[in-house]
Amino acid sequence: MLFPVLLLLAFCLMAKNMEIEKLFHQIPAEISGWKQKPGFKVFGPDTLFDYIDGGAELYLSYGFKNLLSFGYFRTGQPDITVDIFDMGTSAHAFGVFSHSRETLDQSIGQGSEYSDGLLIFWKGKYYVSLLAYPETQEVKMTILKLGARISDWIKEKGKLPAILQQLPAEGLIRKSIRYFFHYIWLNSHYFISNDNILHINENTEAVLAKYEKNHTKYLLLLVDYPDQEKAFDACTDFVKHYLSEAANGIRKISDDSWAGCRIAINKLWVVLNADNEKEVIDIFTNLSVE
Amino acid sequence: MKQKSIISRREFLKNASKTAMGSALFLTPFAKKGMTHEHVRQKTTVVLVRNKAVLNASVKPDYRVVLDMLDKGITTLIGEKNPVQCWKKLLKKDDIVGIKSNVWKYIPTTSQVENAIKKRVLDAGIPENRIGVGDRGILRNTIFKNATALINARPMRSHHWSGVGSLIKNYIMFVPRPWDYHDDSCADLATIWKLPIVKDKTRLNVLVMFTPQFHGKGPHSFNPKYVWKYYGMIMGFDPVAVDSIGVRILQAKRKDFFGEERPLNPPPKHVFLADTRHNLGTADPDKIKLIKLGYQEDILI
Repeated sequence: MLFPVLLLLAFCLMAKNMEIEKLFHQIPAEISGWKQKPGFKVFGPDTLFDYIDGGAELYLSYGFKNLLSFGYFRTGQPDITVDIFDMGTSAHAFGVFSHSRETLDQSIGQGSEYSDGLLIFWKGKYYVSLLAYPETQEVKMTILKLGARISDWIKEKGKLPAILQQLPAEGLIRKSIRYFFHYIWLNSHYFISNDNILHINENTEAVLAKYEKNHTKYLLLLVDYPDQEKAFDACTDFVKHYLSEAANGIRKISDDSWAGCRIAINKLWVVLNADNEKEVIDIFTNLSVE
Repeated sequence: MKQKSIISRREFLKNASKTAMGSALFLTPFAKKGMTHEHVRQKTTVVLVRNKAVLNASVKPDYRVVLDMLDKGITTLIGEKNPVQCWKKLLKKDDIVGIKSNVWKYIPTTSQVENAIKKRVLDAGIPENRIGVGDRGILRNTIFKNATALINARPMRSHHWSGVGSLIKNYIMFVPRPWDYHDDSCADLATIWKLPIVKDKTRLNVLVMFTPQFHGKGPHSFNPKYVWKYYGMIMGFDPVAVDSIGVRILQAKRKDFFGEERPLNPPPKHVFLADTRHNLGTADPDKIKLIKLGYQEDILI
């Protein structure tokens, strides 16, 4: 019984690798004078550490499946390293891209950023990085051209995570949207606690965004739990540890900003960094989660 | 059993205000009663040496300037004018010395730093066949396996998962499965320093700040946009104190660059937990005596 299962697993793994390897064979052997280095490497969840060491955790926390890595060289110019991550789903690819996004740019793929020799973009279930150092004008043009070509070869477009649509549009700073499944990434953008008091894990979707409205700035966090009980447990922990047991779930914290939370069935809305209590109440009122 | 401690934003911010640059660095939510390490009783000295001539036109370090910076640092730390005498105080003639470097291809420790340290170890009377320089593969290196003394030297940079890659993290290559220490964004990296292969062997810590990286992006966590010329080297006997000074400089640079408080991503909690949870050293700016030598412009601390 065990043998057929192992065989099936091995076959599935090979099929996955073949899918990303197929992509490699569509990529040009030469572009603008840069020639492809011989061969390519494929890394899976167990071997990603061999390639990017501590950096692997980011991708693993977003459901990383496998990575295709290869390079280009041209005499007198910097090498170009191309990394194509199969993240399994477009939501994961968007999530990992959103983690470091600073600007809104859709010129390549479904969202991209270029600066100083590094192009990153996402399209479908793929997150792609092209890096050359130091940057030259020639390598910049080539990276953008190659990035566009890779984007064209990824035929399938992906959908943005549905949870994003629940964010109120008014005042939303779109480039600030962060989508994640691991509490460490929440702390990366707004430190709450070194412990996972909001119970964010691979079974919860979370989105954090900045808002600017009527001369006020605040952050809105939405966490979608598998069920109401889990949302309630997380809310209880958050009120206990972060809001000092505030009876109405709203409290001024030590940096003089206001924070609060509300449950809506299996979802938890959290307002952070607001100016005053009324502002927090107004935000919840507008969300209809009073 | 791992000690469990919750650091809230309240504590994060309260302690952040203690740092000179208003940056979020030392978090001390727990009573320090019972702490016995030397650094709690007296101020730990950390020396920051800067020299604008350390980088040439190609942004490569100049060996002679590096050696001079190293000498300035060690003589200040030990309070002895002759650098060779200082190294003789640090090392015994029968020591086997491992110089733990870092080979990250974008910002390595650099051969200039490695060679400057090696020269002074040789000057101290250690024969070449008892000196090793290494990073990856040190567990297969007989010098490192048998080392009686370690010199820890690596560059400072922001890090995808641990907040910063600096001195404490540099010993991760002493464990066979580095990823076993990745839990909770590398919170307990300091425990590596208690393993027999390294425990009590570190004679000097050198945090290279010639071109530190204050922000990372992309799978290689590198973008030259976020690297700047700082021309510095931070030295000390306490890796936690040295790292904490390095973190404060990075935080200050981030504030300067982004125009707002932008915490390191993720927060480098392993640095302060090395103090509050593991008693490896001190991250408390009130307990660190920082001596600044050389170039003062844009020092950020």
